[in-house]
Amino acid sequence: MTTTSLLSRGALLLALVAPPAGSAGAQARYEQSLSLSAGLYAASGFGTNFYTSGRYNYFIPGTRWFIEGSLGVGSLTSKVMSSVTKAQIFTSDNLVTYEFAGAFDYAPGGALPFFLFGVGGVREGEETHFAGVLGIGKRVALPGFLGSNALGFRYDIRDQIFSQVINNSDPFIVHNITATLGLQIYF
Amino acid sequence: MSDSFNVCAALLAASLAFVSPLRAQNPSPAPATQTPRTPLIDLNESVAFEVCPHTGMMGSSGTFGLKLMMTYSSFSLELAGEQVIGRTANLYPVSINAVLNLATHGRLIPYGAVGAGLWLTVPVNALGAETVSTLGMNFGGGARFFITRAFGIRLEAKQYFTTISDSRGLKNDLLFFQEVSVGATFLFH
Repeated sequence: MTTTSLLSRGALLLALVAPPAGSAGAQARYEQSLSLSAGLYAASGFGTNFYTSGRYNYFIPGTRWFIEGSLGVGSLTSKVMSSVTKAQIFTSDNLVTYEFAGAFDYAPGGALPFFLFGVGGVREGEETHFAGVLGIGKRVALPGFLGSNALGFRYDIRDQIFSQVINNSDPFIVHNITATLGLQIYF
Repeated sequence: MSDSFNVCAALLAASLAFVSPLRAQNPSPAPATQTPRTPLIDLNESVAFEVCPHTGMMGSSGTFGLKLMMTYSSFSLELAGEQVIGRTANLYPVSINAVLNLATHGRLIPYGAVGAGLWLTVPVNALGAETVSTLGMNFGGGARFFITRAFGIRLEAKQYFTTISDSRGLKNDLLFFQEVSVGATFLFH
């Protein structure tokens, strides 16, 4: 690899990591935010359905860390299950998730996403599972949008990992993936 | 010689006469002012309220919960509710706790707690099974570490115990559970 390509890759990395000038961003000015997101929830073995979630963030002053509490609602409806096997695995198709997580946002105004880890509860019908949560996401401030400097949008990708037992099977690990896009308001 | 001596003595007396009153009027130098260091958290300041979401483990089961605290000085009153996620049943302990804060100033506030409440055991997917409620007690301790005046981290370890009896009331079992939790705390004045 030539020195020039090394330098150009280094410059690209710096450009990604370093927040742009003047983009101290919402983290510096606001301590909290609420957001409403919508997207898809891929329940392992059951298919993908629409999913909405509300999130609360607290940005720890003077750090790049924030904590998040979230509540999400979705569905476990599976066309394959209902039309082919006629099986009803859970007492209902309701899906409720809640998460408690910490996140590290190295470059709130830059291009790098934040990394999130925590725990969550995944309630499928009447069954609740304790899950580990890993994810990435990005908060993008929208200065001046709708006449306010306190709005932004965000995307989130999460993996909810937990052990599941279905019909007395041996426990197995499932990964339920969510991908959402949302609007965020800072205060 | 004696004249010059007299002149010197007169000058000295005159200088002393002028200088002495001036010295006496000079106020003594003020002691260096020391601004009192206000602690990050002062629980004696006023009544404080805290909201503490937390998560942890009770035995091998994961837990989620929320605690609401009202604090004045060393004493706090706490209302706690949580969900313990089990494989065959979920447990919902709801309790009122008395908390003794072992420090009232600074970032780190260790504490001990004791309380009592109601335990609701809700079976999962068990046909015919009903929710069982029992009375339980708990005690333990922990610490709150405040990063800012309004936000901190909370660690806690607790011992829970309750008794359950069979449906005919012939046999009582004393059950013990240990819980370790970590969470955040938001403080309001």
